[in-house]
Amino acid sequence: MLEFKNADIRVGRTPILQGISATFEKGRITALVGLNGSGKTTLLQSLNGLSSVTDGQIFLDGEDYLALAPGERAKRLSFFSQLRGSAPNISVRGLVEHGRFPYMGFSRKRSPEDLDAMEKAIDFTGLSQEADRLVSELSGGMQQRAYLAMQIAQECPYMVMDEPQNFLDLPGQRELLLLIRALKEEGKTVILVIHDLEKALRIADRIVVMDRRRIAGSGTPGECLESGLLQKVFDCRIHPAETEEGIRYLID
Amino acid sequence: MKKKAHANSRIFFLLSAVLLVLLILLGLGLGSVRIPLREILRVLSEGDAETANAVILRSVRLPRVLAGILTGAGLGAAGAILQTVLNNSLASSNTIGVNSGAGFFVMLSMIFFPKDPAARSGMAFLGALITVLFILCLAYFAERSRVTIILAGITISSFLSAAMNLIKTLDDSIVINSLTFSIGSLAGVRLSNLAYPAIGILPAILIATLLGKALNIMSLGDGTAMSLGLKVHHYRIVFVLLASLLAGCVVSYAGLISFVGLIVPHVCRYFTGHDARVLIPASALLGAVFVLIADLAGRVLFAPYELPVGILLSLSGAPFFLYLLLKKGGRRVNA
Repeated sequence: MLEFKNADIRVGRTPILQGISATFEKGRITALVGLNGSGKTTLLQSLNGLSSVTDGQIFLDGEDYLALAPGERAKRLSFFSQLRGSAPNISVRGLVEHGRFPYMGFSRKRSPEDLDAMEKAIDFTGLSQEADRLVSELSGGMQQRAYLAMQIAQECPYMVMDEPQNFLDLPGQRELLLLIRALKEEGKTVILVIHDLEKALRIADRIVVMDRRRIAGSGTPGECLESGLLQKVFDCRIHPAETEEGIRYLID
Repeated sequence: MKKKAHANSRIFFLLSAVLLVLLILLGLGLGSVRIPLREILRVLSEGDAETANAVILRSVRLPRVLAGILTGAGLGAAGAILQTVLNNSLASSNTIGVNSGAGFFVMLSMIFFPKDPAARSGMAFLGALITVLFILCLAYFAERSRVTIILAGITISSFLSAAMNLIKTLDDSIVINSLTFSIGSLAGVRLSNLAYPAIGILPAILIATLLGKALNIMSLGDGTAMSLGLKVHHYRIVFVLLASLLAGCVVSYAGLISFVGLIVPHVCRYFTGHDARVLIPASALLGAVFVLIADLAGRVLFAPYELPVGILLSLSGAPFFLYLLLKKGGRRVNA
């Protein structure tokens, strides 16, 4: 379980979040939702060091996460960044290899385990045909997949994804949801920042809602709907509808 | 594609090495007095000949060729490091103000230790180090490290250039030295001037190459690099310090040579790709070739007059810089 306890978080020298407490259960998909500027990215970036925790604690499976060495953190929790700048001029395979960085010694030689993890990640994301192409030559959606493959190659039990559906077309978004479900089936814990509320309700086991830089509440999708939490924060109405493919949500 | 890139790299290294050897021989043989290859080889192998040509070779041309190699290698590698670590294709030791910092301190050493050439190397590195630490502090407090480093560098560079001109104006005794110094020249370099810089330059290139994988990871952006367990801030300081050491050592004997660090890494990327572990040694090698060509051209084109190497490098480098501005707008350079 990943747990924030009374965490004060700042970006640079600017305090952004105060007294944040939230839990993300192991083996589940948790969607972190909220309006723009509610502090979702700042909260999660405290996990990779882009924002810093000035007070409070973060526990990962009971251990003080912030006390772990950076290399050790990178073996336990991987991070899919929302903002990455322009695409690198390296092959997809080269990018995926970077996911093995935490496991490489000083010589940075690839071990058979590294090669195996890389190939699995490339297969998993359906990038076998593109493995030798430059990332910068791929479409935005394919680039997202390449970064996801890098994250998968990192083989961490906890996977944080900050808006991974960006740049993806509708089929791409559908495939991403299937990939995330498949990762959960493999025992991964996925924490997902997602703006599409309908998809969050469909894919998540639990939802953590942020509003005006605070945790507004959390629960299963059903609990969040029933309590009116999502409707209040997003100022919308949500209508569950039975379809042949299961429950879908109409939001207006 | 990877195999093709490896093949391209091998061909690049082989051709550059052959070209370098050829330029070394030409550099030793050509000039106001032409020395045949056989005599060059004899003097280099025997070492104790006392003919006029042997004296010219040992005291003028050999130091000059070695200075050219160290200059190109140091500035080329420094450019490759800075462009990758700052993710900006317009970064070089010139643009981030390191050269000016080193130059300003060298000029101070001309005033305070005019008869101690060894003090120059130390002062040059000290100047480069102080400048780069100042710029890193500025970037830290401005909270925008990459872009701020470039902008702060340009500002500091202008400030220090003005300070150097002020010193030149106030102290007549160093004007003659400072003229060639501000343009950049290899004329008059002695072997004794190169000992300390060589001790700095060669290990710095080696260390940067060995740490190249970290540089590759940094080019993915701070967030991704930190997620992969890299201590980004530590490595950024290490790489900027290595680049400062390289640039400072070169400035100590060659003056403010421009554009090598800017152009050479771009040409290398075209042939060898973006892997810093290949790019840094490739930039060192091609940098050496580039400087030797410019120095040789400066000596031969208008003989018996000589053009300082810095003039030819700037004449060829400036149009390339403008081309980069137009084509890339100084955006990221990924590894």
